Amino acid sequence: MAEVVLKEVVKHYGAHIAVNHVSLTVGDGEFVALVGPSGCGKTTTLNLVAGLIPMSGGEIHIADRLVNDLDPKDRDIAMVFQNYALYPNKSVYKNLAFPLQMRKLAKPDIDAKVKEAARVLDITHLLERRPRELSGGQQQRVALGRALVRDPAVFLMDEPLSNLDAKLRVQMRSELKRFHQDLHTTVIYVTHDQLEAVTMADKMAVMSGGFLQQYDAPDMVFAKPVNTFVAGFIGSPAMSLVPVQVVRKGDAVWLRSVDGWEFELSAENGHKALSATSDKVVLGARHSTLRIHKSAEPGTVPGRVYIVEPTGDVTFAQVKLGASIIIVSLDPHFPIAPDEPVFVEFNQNKLHLFDGETQMALAAA
Amino acid sequence: MTDATFSSRAITKRPIDWWRWSGRVFLVFLLLFTVLPMVWMVLTSIKTQFAAMQYPPQWWPAEPTLQNYARLLDPSNSVGQEFLRYFWNSFYVALTTTVIGVVVAVPAAYAFSRFRFPGRTFLFFSVLLRNMFPAVVFLMPLFLLMRWLGLVNTHGSLILTYLTFGLPLSIWLLKGFYDNIPIQLEQAARIDGATRFQAFILIVMPLSSPGIIATSIFSFIGAWNEYVYAYTFLSKQESMTLPVGIQRFFTEFATDWPGLMAATFLMSVPVVVLFLVLQKYFVRALTEGAVKN
Amino acid sequence: MSTVTGQAAFAGDPAVSPRRAGLLRRIVNHRADYLYVLPAIVVMLVVIGYPIYYTIELSLFKTPPNLQMKDKIFVGLDNYVTILRSASFRDVTLNTLIWTAGSTLFAFLLGLGAALSLHREFMGRGVLRALLLIPYVVSAVAASYVWKWLYHSDFGVIGALAVQFQLSDRPINFLDNLHSVLPSLIVVNIWKEFSFAMIMLMAGLQTVPDQLLRAAQVDGANAWQRFWHVTFPHLKSVSMVTVLLLMVANFNSFIIPWIMTGGGPAGASDIWITQIYNLAFGRQRYGVASAYSVILFIVMMTLGYFYVRALTRGDEARAG
Repeated sequence: MAEVVLKEVVKHYGAHIAVNHVSLTVGDGEFVALVGPSGCGKTTTLNLVAGLIPMSGGEIHIADRLVNDLDPKDRDIAMVFQNYALYPNKSVYKNLAFPLQMRKLAKPDIDAKVKEAARVLDITHLLERRPRELSGGQQQRVALGRALVRDPAVFLMDEPLSNLDAKLRVQMRSELKRFHQDLHTTVIYVTHDQLEAVTMADKMAVMSGGFLQQYDAPDMVFAKPVNTFVAGFIGSPAMSLVPVQVVRKGDAVWLRSVDGWEFELSAENGHKALSATSDKVVLGARHSTLRIHKSAEPGTVPGRVYIVEPTGDVTFAQVKLGASIIIVSLDPHFPIAPDEPVFVEFNQNKLHLFDGETQMALAAA
Repeated sequence: MTDATFSSRAITKRPIDWWRWSGRVFLVFLLLFTVLPMVWMVLTSIKTQFAAMQYPPQWWPAEPTLQNYARLLDPSNSVGQEFLRYFWNSFYVALTTTVIGVVVAVPAAYAFSRFRFPGRTFLFFSVLLRNMFPAVVFLMPLFLLMRWLGLVNTHGSLILTYLTFGLPLSIWLLKGFYDNIPIQLEQAARIDGATRFQAFILIVMPLSSPGIIATSIFSFIGAWNEYVYAYTFLSKQESMTLPVGIQRFFTEFATDWPGLMAATFLMSVPVVVLFLVLQKYFVRALTEGAVKN
Repeated sequence: MSTVTGQAAFAGDPAVSPRRAGLLRRIVNHRADYLYVLPAIVVMLVVIGYPIYYTIELSLFKTPPNLQMKDKIFVGLDNYVTILRSASFRDVTLNTLIWTAGSTLFAFLLGLGAALSLHREFMGRGVLRALLLIPYVVSAVAASYVWKWLYHSDFGVIGALAVQFQLSDRPINFLDNLHSVLPSLIVVNIWKEFSFAMIMLMAGLQTVPDQLLRAAQVDGANAWQRFWHVTFPHLKSVSMVTVLLLMVANFNSFIIPWIMTGGGPAGASDIWITQIYNLAFGRQRYGVASAYSVILFIVMMTLGYFYVRALTRGDEARAG
C-alpha cells in the first residue's frame, strides 16, 4: 500500500521537453488514469515512475521514499506493458515465476504464489504453454499475473488493453476494475482512450504537450474542463467548440460569430465573457445540452443539418453554423434530414466559455 | 487464409505466359551458368592427369578415379600431410576468429541497438565505414605492425586481422537482431527485479541466438576464404591456410589440374555444407539491415 | 541522423556552445554504456586507425626498398604527382572502371532477373536458390582456379565447346589475349557475385505489399506496369544499397585478377588494387603504393558516404 508523489518532474530529450514540471499525488489505493493523445508525455511519465529512464529534474516518492536514484527493481512496483512483454522463450509458469526468482524466494514459495495467481486469473490450464500459443486476452492475463505475484506497492499499467479487440477490451476493463476494487492497490494507468479513464479511474490526469492539464475525478473533469484542450478531449462525441466574439449591447452581452449569427448571454455568462483578456472567446457546448428547433425562436441561432448519425439509442446530428460544426444529440424519433434548416438553442446553464487567447475556462469574477 | 491463397492463385492462373516462360528460360540459363563450372571441376577431379590433358577433352572420364582425393587425404604421404595441415590451420583460424568475434561483437551490438550515448552515431559510422576499405590498403602497415608485435608467421596475426575486419559486419548484423527484440522485455525484467546485466543475460541473450548463429556463419566463412592477408603474413609452409597453401600446391605440381580441382573441391566442402545447413540464417544475415519495411 | 548527432557530438559552432556543458555531463552520465563498445573500439583503433594514419604518412615519403623505414625521405606530394603523371595510370584507371562498372551492372541485372523469376513459389525453388548461392559462398581462390582451368588455352572446356559448336576453329586463348582478358575476368566475377544481388533483391521483393499489387491489378495495370509502378519503386532503396556494396566489393577485389592473370598480359587486366600490390610487394615502392592507396581511399570514402546514407535512411525514424 503506498502513495505516489510526483514533484515538478521534468524529462527532456535534448531540446524536446517530454514531461514539463508535472506534480501530482496518487493517494494510497487510488486508481489514477494518465490520459492524453499520443506523444503527450503520459507513457514517459509512467516510465519515470518505474525508473526505466532517468529523470531530468524533480522528485518522485513512492511510499514516502524518495526513489529518484533507485533501480526499477528496488521501487516495489509492477508493470503491465502494452505489448505484454512476456518472455517469449519461457513458459507461462516461468514467466510468472521470474520476478520471484529474481527476488530469490524459495522454490516452494514461488510455486505456491504462481499457482495462486494463476488460480485468481483463471489461467491454471495455460501454465505450460509458451506466450505465442496464447490468445491476446490470455497473454493479457499472464501479464497481469506476472505483476500480481509480487504483491507490489504500486501497479503501473501502460495501455494494457489497447492491443485487444473491442469486445474483449470492454470485458477486461470490467475485470480490471473489479480487480482493483478487491485488492485496493495503488494503480497508475496510462491510456489514450478517455472512455477507459472515465469508466475505471478514481481520478484522471489529463496530459498534453508534456504538461499536466487537469487532475481531478472524472465527473469533475467532465463537468468543469479547465481549458479547451480538456473540453475537446474528454467526452464522446467531444464538446463542440466555436470561436466567437463578445459584443456589448447596452447592458446586455452578446456572442457574435464571424458567420453573422448571434445570441444574448445570461447575466452570469455575460460576466464570464467580459472577464476574457480580449473580445475573443470560445463557446463550448456538449451535445446533450443543445436543443434543435424547426423554427426561429428567441435565443436560437440558425444552422443547417450537415450529417445525421443514428446510433440506436440516440441520434447525433452535425449542424453547420456557418463554417463551424456543432454536434447535437437527439431522440431517435426526432424527424430530421440532411440539408434541412434548423435553429439551435444553447442551454445557458450548461454552456462553457473559454478565453480566446489563453484557451482557459472563464469563471464568473 | 485459405481464402487469400485461393484468390491469389486465381489471379496467377490467368496468365501472361510470356513473362513466366521468359523467367523459366532465364532461370535455366542461370542454373547452367552457375552449375556447369562446378560440374566440370568435379569431373576433372576424378580424371587421371593423362585423361585431363587431352584435346578434344573427354566429356566424361573414361576411367573415373578417386585417386586424387585419396592422395590429398592420406596422411602417410607428403602431399596428404601438407594438405591436411593447411586444412587444420584454416579450421583453427576460422573457428578462433568466430568465437572471439562473437564475444566482442555481442556487447557492442547491444549497446549500439539500445543506448543513446553521445558519439554513438559517429562510432557506428566509423564501424560501418571500415567495410569500405580495401584489404590491400591495410596490408603494408599491418604487416609492419605484426612484425613489431612479433606475430608474423603466426595464426595470431590472421586472427587479429580477421577479427577487426569482421567486427563491423558482425556488429551491424547483430544490431539488426537486437533492434527486433522489444525493449519492453528488458524493462519488464528490470521491474521484475533483474539488474540491467541480468536482463541482458537471462532475457536478451537467449532470444538473440539466431543472430549469433548468423553472425558466426558469416565470420567463419569469411575467415575460411580469406586470401590476401594470409598470403602476405604467412611465409612458412607449416602455418599456411588453405587458400594460400593450395597455390603452393599448384606451383609445385604445375600441371596437375585434376589434383588442383580435387583440392579446391575439398576446400569448398566445409563452407558449402555450413551454408546449406544454416541457409536460413545466412540469407537473413546477408540481407539484414539493408532491407527495411 | 548523422547531422543531428554530429552537431551534438562536435559542438564546435559557438551558436551551439551552451550545449557543451550538457555534452560533458551526458558523456559522464553514459559512461557505463561505453563499456559495452570499448572492446570493439580498442581493437578497431589499433588495427584500423593506426594503418590509416601510417598509410597517409608514408604516402609523403620516398622509401628505400629494404623496408628500413627510418631511412625514408620526405618528398611532399611527389608520390601523388608521380602516379598521376605515369603512363600506366590512365590505363589502369580505365581497366578499374570497366571492371567495376561491368561486374556491378551485370551482376545486378542477373540478380534482378533471378529475384523476379524466383519470387513466385514453385517446386524446387529453395533448392534452386541454394544452388545459385554456392558461388557466392565458396572462396574466390577456388573460383579463380576452376575458371582458370575452364579458360585453359589448350585443354579448357569452354574453348573446346566453342570448337564443338563451330564458333571457333581452334581453342580460344581467353586469358593471354589483350582484348579478351578483362571481359573473361568480369564473367568470373559475375559468376561469383550475382547471387548476392539476387538474395538482396529477393528480400526487397518481400517488402512489396501484396495489397498494392492487387490494387494496381484492379486499376487495370498489366504485369509490366505493375512491376514498373509498384514493385520497382519499392526496390529502389535495396537496389541502391546492393549496387553500392557491389561497387565497393569490385573496386576492392583482388583475388580473381591476381590469381588468374596477375594483372597481365602486359597490364591488360591490371586494376588499382593489383597495381598497388605490385608496387608495394613486387617493386617495394611503398611510398608510391601508399599514395595510390590514399587515392583509392578517397574514392571509397565517397562511395561509403552514399552507402551509409542509403543504409540509414530508415534508421532515423526508429532512433527517435
